[in-house]
Amino acid sequence: MSAFIIDEVKKTFSNGEVEEEILKGVNLSLKEGEITALIGPSGSGKSTILTIAAGLQKASTGEIMFDGKDMTKMSPEEVRHIRATDFGFVFQSSHLVPFLTVEEQLQLMLDVSETKMSKKEQTNAIEEMLKLVEMEHRKESYPSSLSGGERQRVAIARAIIHRPKILFADEPTASLDTKRSKGVMELLQELTRTLKLTTLMVTHDEEMLPYVDRVITMRDGYIVE
Amino acid sequence: MKIAWKEMKKNKTRFLILGSIIFLVSFLTFIISGLANGLSQDNAALIKDLPQGQFYLDKDADKTYNLSKIDEGVQQQILIDHPEATAFSVQMGFVNDEDDKQHSLAFVTSTDSALFEKVKEGEIVLDRSLQEDGIQVGDVLTNNQFSGEFIVKGFVDQQKYSHAPVAFIDMTNYQEIYRVMEMQTIFIPGKDAPTLSALDSFSNKEFLNAIPSYNAEQMSLNMIVWFLVIISGMLFAIFFYMMNVQKIGLYGILKAIGMKTISLFKMIWYQMLVITAISLALSIALSQAFSLIAPEGMPFHLTMDTVLMLSAVFMVVGFIGATISGFQVKNIEPLQAIQQGEM
Repeated sequence: MSAFIIDEVKKTFSNGEVEEEILKGVNLSLKEGEITALIGPSGSGKSTILTIAAGLQKASTGEIMFDGKDMTKMSPEEVRHIRATDFGFVFQSSHLVPFLTVEEQLQLMLDVSETKMSKKEQTNAIEEMLKLVEMEHRKESYPSSLSGGERQRVAIARAIIHRPKILFADEPTASLDTKRSKGVMELLQELTRTLKLTTLMVTHDEEMLPYVDRVITMRDGYIVE
Repeated sequence: MKIAWKEMKKNKTRFLILGSIIFLVSFLTFIISGLANGLSQDNAALIKDLPQGQFYLDKDADKTYNLSKIDEGVQQQILIDHPEATAFSVQMGFVNDEDDKQHSLAFVTSTDSALFEKVKEGEIVLDRSLQEDGIQVGDVLTNNQFSGEFIVKGFVDQQKYSHAPVAFIDMTNYQEIYRVMEMQTIFIPGKDAPTLSALDSFSNKEFLNAIPSYNAEQMSLNMIVWFLVIISGMLFAIFFYMMNVQKIGLYGILKAIGMKTISLFKMIWYQMLVITAISLALSIALSQAFSLIAPEGMPFHLTMDTVLMLSAVFMVVGFIGATISGFQVKNIEPLQAIQQGEM
């Protein structure tokens, strides 16, 4: 069953008098427990469709169905609530909060998602998650003292600590070397399967494709294969 | 608000700079306010220390108390109708001590009243500042307009008028010195003072403003105080604006992961509250210490009421400044942050 459906989504940007259509009608269904990778040349619209699907910008036309509801018709507050509770984000740069330790980054996400877990359950969840991403030994470290790979592991942990349904990852390995990139992809693959996440990822690195379940190629605002 | 506190702990220097600026501005404000109050006391303690009531001047005096001469008949009738009322006069003058040294002072005389010192003919009661000038109880003082001599009967605390120490003398002696039989002012204590058709009436505050130089002096100092308060509000707005610009990426990511805009505002308010509270606590402590070590001649008077009132104003102004800076946070798009690099 499809957990997330993108239906005939178009996006037009207006630059003064010139209007440019970035997405020309994208249709896509994401499945639970699968990683779907969007690939394609620069300007093909892959990052735009990811950010629209994640509720970070609006589509010009089309529908985005999540949990049976059309997100394009929701209020900004409803979309924010979905981002906080049902979505997780991993960005190209880890974008960790510089003045919070590793465990505090995860606590922040639990606070933002207004989790119903008790304080003890939250502490246990953080410990479990840090074990899962093999970062429990660095739980009191600040982002500035972590390597690029470690930061991305913490970013992944932060993205899924509140048990989201959908994980959006925008070039999560772009700032890492090959060895660390493979480590991050193995982690994403394992977490998507064990936690039954629905993961949509943008990448330009074809070496990462063996770790994904589906590959969607985009070109000039269309899905071509 | 743990995140706001963590940020302050991790970026101590940044917040210490803002805190020290707020501390300096608020300290300066307290000091100037203390001087304004001190000068106000020095200028008009005699009037300020009277209870709330109504002052009456002759209508022909054009609201200038030292031109006022209240008709004796009118005065007698008012004092009969209102037993708590008192008539009094104040004029600047001087006395010579036993070494023939001249001392400027304000002669005050009044009808029988608990509000003013009672003195007999030939006696004088002085403000204590003249004791510091070497005058003692029992000393004989003279005035070239007065045929007799004044014997110092005692001293009173904090009785100043027009920056001069007050000297209470008997009405007959006063009339001889100033060649005038009428009193200048009638004062009726209490909230329900009557309207007297022959006289202009003034509240305590209005009467203070009728004292030459009082209003101009206070206005200048109060203007400085309020400018400093406004400057502190602007400092908050500017400083938080600059910090917010540096943190657009952070705020964008926090918004992207679903943090409410109001939570970001709460973060800014919490930081503003902590910085202001600490800065004000230091300023209050230091200004109170200053009031203990201020030189004798410096008219410094800072009450806790004034300090608390100004502190509350600083809090409100800080809150407004921080909130204004927060409006840019409201407009941050999460996407902007994602497209930026590392925070």
